[in-house]
Amino acid sequence: MSALPIIGVWLGGWAVNIWLSRFDTRASRTLVAVIFGATIIALWEMIVRIYAIPTVILPAPSQIAASFAANGSILWTDFVQTILKGALTGWLIGAGAAILTAIAIDRSPFLQRGLLPIGNFVAALPIVGIAPILVMWFGFDWQSKAAVVVVMVFFPILVNMVAGLRATDAMQRDLMASWAAPYGASLWKLRLPAAMPFLFNGLKITTTLALIGAIVAEFFGSPTRGMGFRISTAVGRLDLPLVWAEIVVAALAGTLFYGLVAALEKKVTFWHPSQRR
Amino acid sequence: MKRLMTGAAALALMAGAAQAGDLTLQLKWVTQAQFAGYYVALDQGFYEEEGVNLTILPGGPDIAPTQVLAGGGADVIVEWMPAALAAREKGLPLVNIAQPFKASGMMLTCLAETGITDPATDFAGKTLGVWFAGNEYPFLSWMNTLGLSTEGGEEGVTVLKQGFNVDPLLQKQAACISTMTYNEYWQVIDAGLTEDDLITFKYEDQGVATLEDGLYVLEGTLEDPEKVTDLVGFVRASMRGWQYAAENPEEAAEIVMENDETGAQTIEHQTRMMTEIAKLLEGSDGTLIEADYQRTVDILLAGGSDPVIEAAPEGAWVSTITDRAFD
Repeated sequence: MSALPIIGVWLGGWAVNIWLSRFDTRASRTLVAVIFGATIIALWEMIVRIYAIPTVILPAPSQIAASFAANGSILWTDFVQTILKGALTGWLIGAGAAILTAIAIDRSPFLQRGLLPIGNFVAALPIVGIAPILVMWFGFDWQSKAAVVVVMVFFPILVNMVAGLRATDAMQRDLMASWAAPYGASLWKLRLPAAMPFLFNGLKITTTLALIGAIVAEFFGSPTRGMGFRISTAVGRLDLPLVWAEIVVAALAGTLFYGLVAALEKKVTFWHPSQRR
Repeated sequence: MKRLMTGAAALALMAGAAQAGDLTLQLKWVTQAQFAGYYVALDQGFYEEEGVNLTILPGGPDIAPTQVLAGGGADVIVEWMPAALAAREKGLPLVNIAQPFKASGMMLTCLAETGITDPATDFAGKTLGVWFAGNEYPFLSWMNTLGLSTEGGEEGVTVLKQGFNVDPLLQKQAACISTMTYNEYWQVIDAGLTEDDLITFKYEDQGVATLEDGLYVLEGTLEDPEKVTDLVGFVRASMRGWQYAAENPEEAAEIVMENDETGAQTIEHQTRMMTEIAKLLEGSDGTLIEADYQRTVDILLAGGSDPVIEAAPEGAWVSTITDRAFD
C-alpha cells in the first residue's frame, strides 16, 4: 500500500517526460532534465519518510538542504580549504608540470625512454599509500593535499599531451620544414594547437581526480577544516546531513570545474571536428 | 563508506533471519589486545557454554561503531562513553550494558624538548594532535576545563587531525599527540625515542578521564527477552575472557594474533598491550560504577561554550544485564 504514492510519482514524472519529448525545442530539452532530477529527489524524500529510514543510513533531501543552509560558513571554509587551495593549486601545478614534461619528452628520445616509464610507475601508486608520506613531507595543511593532487593528475595529462604532440601528420611537418621553420616555431604554430584536443581531454579527466585526491588526502591528517576532514569527523558524530551537504558541495564544485574546462576547450579548439554543431 | 553502508544493510537483512543465541559484536578498532577478552572467550569456548554464537567484527579508521549499530550491522558495540552519549543526544538510543574497563588509557604524549610541564600553563600556542571520528570528545572536554580555545592562535591550541600513526610527533609537526597507554605510546618508544624524551599527561591524572570501551546496545534490543538472555550470557562469558586474558597475557596475545587477519600485529607489541590493558581492567567486574558514569557526564557537560552534550542523559545505562550475569 505504502508503495503506491512512490510508484505514482515515478510513473507521473515518466509520463510527463514522454509527452515532452515530442517537442524538440531548447526549453523542452531543459525541462525534461529538470523533471527527471526533481522526480529522483521527490522519490528519495518519499522513500525515506514512508519507510522511516534512519538518518544515519540515509538522510532525506529536506534534511540535507536544511543542513546545507544552516552550515553555510562551515561549508564555505571547507570549500576554500579543499577545493580552491588543495585541488585547484595541485591541478594547476600538476598540469603545468605535465605539459612541460611532455614537450621535453617530445624533444628528446632519451627522455621518452626514461621519463614515461617513471610516469607510469607514479601513476600506479595507490593514493592511500602516498597520502600519509606526502602529509609527512609537506605538513598537515593544504600543501600536502596539493601534492597528492599533483601526483594524481600528472600522468593522465602527460600521456594525453605526449599523444597530442604526435598528432600532426608527416605532410604538415614537411610543410613547416620546407619553410625552414625552427623547432620552436613549428611547435608553437603547428604542433601545440594540434595537441589541444588531446590536452583538454586530459584536463577534463583530471578535474574530478583532483577533487577526489584533495578530499581523500585529508583523511590522513589535516587541520580542523576541509571537506575530507568534515566528512570523516561528521560521520563519527553521526551528523549525516552535514556529510551529505559536503557531498552536495563536492558535486556542485566538480560539475562547475568540469564545465569551466569544457567551455575553455570550446573556445580553444573551435576548429576541431568534434566541436561542430 | 559506501561499502560500509551496503555491508550494514546486508547484515541487517541477515539479522532478520538470525538464530536464537546469535550475537554480533562490532569492535571499536582493529583486532588487537585491546579486545583480547572477547577473542579469548571465543577461543576458550566461554560463549559456547552460555549458548551464545558470537561473531566479532573488527573495526578500523573508516568504521564508526555507532553507525554500524544504527544500521543494524551489529547487536553490541565496544565504544567510548563520550561518543556513545553524544550519539544518544543525536537521537540514537544507545545504552551501556556493561563496563569492563575501569580506567582510561588515554593520554597526551609530548616531546620534552617543547618545555611543556604543566597543561594549564604550557599548552597555549602549541599544536596538538587529536583523533577524531568520535574520539575527540574527551580532548575537547579537557581543553574546555583548561579554558583553552581549540581554534588556534596565541591563547588557544592548534588542533591537528591526527592520522592513526605517531608520525606528527616524530616529525615534530605537533608538540603533543594523542596516545593510548597500551598502544601508540609504545609505537613512539619503538620508533627510537626514549621515555626521557617524552612527557605524558594521562587523562586519569588530569581528572578528565572518561569511561572507555564499554559495551553498548540499542534500547530496542533490551525489550526482546530472548536477546536480553543472550546478552547476559555474552557479558558473563566476556568477563571470564577478560579475567583469563589479564592472568595470561602471553597466551591472550597469541589468541589475538591468531584472529588478526591483517597480519599487521606483532606478538611483542600485543603482549605488551595486554599487560597495559590489564591495568585498566583492575577494579572492574564488568558492572558500571555509577560514580564513574557521573564523573564522565560531568566532564562532558563542563563544556563552556561548546559542551559535548547539552543535558544530562536519561537512561543511558542499565544494570539489569550485569545484575543477572553476576548474581
